[in-house]
Amino acid sequence: MNEITSNKFTNNSELELIKRAQQGDRKALAELVKLHERTVYNFAFKICRDREKAEHVMQETFLSMVKSISQFSGKSKLSTWLYTVVSNHCLMLARSEKKREASEFEEETSFSNSITSSDWKYTPGDVAENNELRETLDEVIKKLPEDYRIVFMLRDVEGLSTKETAEAMNLSIPAVKSRLHRARAFLRDELNKKLKE
Amino acid sequence: MKIKKITCKEVADYICETLAEDINSPHCIEIKEHLEHCDVCSGYFKSVNDTIAFYKNYNVEPTDECHERLMNYLNLDNLTNKK
Repeated sequence: MNEITSNKFTNNSELELIKRAQQGDRKALAELVKLHERTVYNFAFKICRDREKAEHVMQETFLSMVKSISQFSGKSKLSTWLYTVVSNHCLMLARSEKKREASEFEEETSFSNSITSSDWKYTPGDVAENNELRETLDEVIKKLPEDYRIVFMLRDVEGLSTKETAEAMNLSIPAVKSRLHRARAFLRDELNKKLKE
Repeated sequence: MKIKKITCKEVADYICETLAEDINSPHCIEIKEHLEHCDVCSGYFKSVNDTIAFYKNYNVEPTDECHERLMNYLNLDNLTNKK
């Protein structure tokens, strides 16, 4: 078992729970699951865009955590570690479904054509209660390949650093930046088309 | 010394790479000055930020049943209070 040490990222109560869980305390393990359940489910939904799949991914993610908690070193936040695991399960699910249909997303998404005005009929604050808008956001992001989707979600939506995103995705920092650039440009352009309709 | 005028593409490329990072660097200050006078770039900058905000504001939560199934799947039922 790795000895975990306090770091600037993990608060003391979580660190205590991790130590207890590593010693076989199942109640501490259950508390850790409860602490991170919403984050993992929400993230899985943001990638899968389907509640049933998000639940499956969440279950597999926490099963991985239960099996591997003794190997957690505490060098990164537990949440960052969980983002890595949940991202991998999302990718595995997507690959197993062989959903790599012809996508409207093009590898050569060019920025030069995308500087256009955007006067959208919705604002970001409209999302919570607006089903039509949610459907549009789902429809648009589903066109983005999962690996690009995950980079966008980790970096921009969940707020991980570029380095943390690179580690979670096992990519180089330039590769993360490149994917992020393309993902943002693609989503912004697709929303530009849809939200003007 | 002749100063090269920054282009819209350079601005946007830089924003895309460095959004939320080191906003007080000389390059970033130059970008901000450009944005103040360029409607096209500031519009683009706003729409990228809005795109991110749309997805940030779209959140879901697991139901109580979903939570119970999870704890059952992990064989951790009855070890904590409910959600």
